[in-house]
Amino acid sequence: MNITRRTFLGTAAALPALAQARPKRVAIITTIFRLQSHGQHIGDRFIVGYPFAGEWHKPDTQVVSLYVDQKPAGDLSEARAKEFGFKVYPTIAETVCCGGSKLAVDAVLIIGEHGDYPHNEKGQVLYPRFEFFEQVAKVFESEGRSVPVYNDKHLSYSFEKAKRMRDTSHRLKFPMLAGSSLPVTWRLPDLELPLGCEIEDALMVGCGGSDAMDFHALEAMQCMLERRKGGESGVKSVQLIEGDDVWKDARWSKEMLRSALSRSDNLKGATVTDGRTQDMVGTGVLPGLVKNPWAYFIEYRDGTKATMLMLSDAVGDFTFAVKLKGKPIQSTQFFLSPDPNVTYSACLAHKIEQMIMTGNAPYPVERTLLVSGMLESCLDSRVKGHVKMDTPHLAVTYQAPRESQYCRI
Amino acid sequence: MAGNRPKLAAITTVYRKMAHTQHIVDRYLEGYGWNGTHHHPEMDLIALYVDQVGADDLSRDRAARFPAMKIYPTIAEALTCGTGKLAVDGVVVVGEHGDYPKTPKGQVQYPRYRFFEEIAAVFRASGRSVPMFNDKHLSWNWEWAKKMYDTSKEMGFAYMAGSSLPVTWRIPSVEFPDGAKVSEALCICYGGVDSYDFHGLETIQGMVERRQGGESGVKWLQAYRGDKFWEACRENVWPRNLMNTALCRSHTLTPARAGFNDIFPSLDDMRTLVRDPVAYRYEHNDGLKCTMMLMGGLVRDFNFAATLEGASKPFSTQAYLPMPDGRTTLADFFNPLSNNMEKMFLSGKPTIPIERTLLTTGLTAAGVDSLYAGQVRIETPHLAIKYQPAKESTFWRT
Repeated sequence: MNITRRTFLGTAAALPALAQARPKRVAIITTIFRLQSHGQHIGDRFIVGYPFAGEWHKPDTQVVSLYVDQKPAGDLSEARAKEFGFKVYPTIAETVCCGGSKLAVDAVLIIGEHGDYPHNEKGQVLYPRFEFFEQVAKVFESEGRSVPVYNDKHLSYSFEKAKRMRDTSHRLKFPMLAGSSLPVTWRLPDLELPLGCEIEDALMVGCGGSDAMDFHALEAMQCMLERRKGGESGVKSVQLIEGDDVWKDARWSKEMLRSALSRSDNLKGATVTDGRTQDMVGTGVLPGLVKNPWAYFIEYRDGTKATMLMLSDAVGDFTFAVKLKGKPIQSTQFFLSPDPNVTYSACLAHKIEQMIMTGNAPYPVERTLLVSGMLESCLDSRVKGHVKMDTPHLAVTYQAPRESQYCRI
Repeated sequence: MAGNRPKLAAITTVYRKMAHTQHIVDRYLEGYGWNGTHHHPEMDLIALYVDQVGADDLSRDRAARFPAMKIYPTIAEALTCGTGKLAVDGVVVVGEHGDYPKTPKGQVQYPRYRFFEEIAAVFRASGRSVPMFNDKHLSWNWEWAKKMYDTSKEMGFAYMAGSSLPVTWRIPSVEFPDGAKVSEALCICYGGVDSYDFHGLETIQGMVERRQGGESGVKWLQAYRGDKFWEACRENVWPRNLMNTALCRSHTLTPARAGFNDIFPSLDDMRTLVRDPVAYRYEHNDGLKCTMMLMGGLVRDFNFAATLEGASKPFSTQAYLPMPDGRTTLADFFNPLSNNMEKMFLSGKPTIPIERTLLTTGLTAAGVDSLYAGQVRIETPHLAIKYQPAKESTFWRT
């Protein structure tokens, strides 16, 4: 057949799927899909696009199916499906198979945050991320084929379950990305630790309750610490203490705290009363201001030590200070942009998209695995009377990516 | 400077919570976060004048807590500390907020010119002048602003002024390329006329002054408001692609549709969301065209975009203000502004040319005039202001 330009165009028009690569098909598996829930604001990035690098970026993806575990008042799942031409399926298996009998998507987003789920005695919300993941993996296994999976936030409240998830991703050889937006959002200032640096001390300051916001703070801290010399070695022991004992403990440094708090734009106390700036460490107001401080002490297997302080009555943002060998203390703020846009989730969406498009996770899931375990063990420490917990199971080793992964464009 | 810390006087309109005076003077008294520690300026603010003392005044509380700072009933007494001669090494003028009458054009008559004249009178009488910082634009009245500028040159003192926008964080943290060729620049921000318009203009000017050839001044300005604004949008009087780019730098885009948290608006959406849009479109003497747009209801931040020659896509960033309107508790964009002032008080040299703020003062007044005259084009031969900024960046990045 003599192919002229006209016949070629005609053929291409008739067979668009062959003429160009089709968008990657995405399934979203979520607890709830309500305005400002993670399911909605991360999911929508793949439906309506998101701001990135000065453009409204439309990923080359198509959300083709959605599973929602709970439909509380304000549920948007059916409205979204109708408007954007996909279906809400009653089971996870049907969702990843788009109602058929075979895996029918190129990527799966598991967003198990928000919704009405029970708490355990440690205060953890029992979000069914592991259970969602298992059902997805079951389809992969029976199919003999897997696709990339993103898991929002920690893998599971249980390290054992989290580890099974990571192990399954290795066994079935699919890329897996997980975690918080904090490691990938903008930093004020733009501070990155050089790969292979020697860390003498590290302090993270966060706010909000457990086990939602402490996970974010621990993961922000971990994305800095993992760049140290020798790579990530895993965690040897953890301890969580609270109340006045926090102020008396010598394991964290006041100078480091002053440095972290100098990065806060959200001091409470007298700032709220009359607008003044405050040197909260210098004036000594913290013990009177913070009713119930929590300190999370992390001791790594290579001897590195780090502390995370939850000071909700004193601050409303997430800041970090670090002392590298031979350098003065450095610090930064992990910038959480305001509601409703929460543009930091666009930074995360970009990383998820990168995995979907390239088939490689931009940073190791072991980071989130380790933080999932750190958090669980810290909460174990608390319920056992704030004792130090040895954590031989947290010998999670990995190497941080050479390239910085946070948003700076 | 050990043993020789500069002494400062602050001359202010009103000292209440969230007034510029509280933000600025508090940073000298209490210190502020800078370079990863709580920084105390190496200077002493020893004299304060407050023009209006209301029920919500904080100056008395601050003077009681910081006894080294005395409050004086007149500007001259503050500058002389009651000695009859200039007794300070620097002056901070904060003439923003407070209850002052408006002009028929709607400008608040903040007494910055009166403050300046009284300060200059003390300088003259003492046969000595010291560096001065003026918060925001020099004056609502162009003639007065020009006189303030001319006086500072005649008397030969270091003079610096302006907004926090050019010196605050940028997200992303990028500098306008030195010597770039730029054809169009635009800022989408929010707030009102003779108020945040000045901040939008300073956002643009703090960028474009670095272009090839330096600043050449502005030859005309035209304001657009209401229906004429939307008409100009539709007719691409300013580049739509730069509007889109600037909006993609915002972190506060009002969702145009219920049920969405972050969705890009159409022009019709914008028209529904923005009740009182205002744009100042103006052309520099070297041909650069700029547009400052107030789009309250759509955004609550300051977003900049420009077309650079040889670049495949627009240059863009957000000049980020940690804003204590519920988003933060501290107006920490006053940290870099205070720090730039401190550098001037220590070195005797402004870090930012006063000509920038002279130009933006004139642009603000021209914007008001254009609106008042029915959104007509105003020729601005008086704004043929030429200057070259320092090569070093002055925005916050440490």
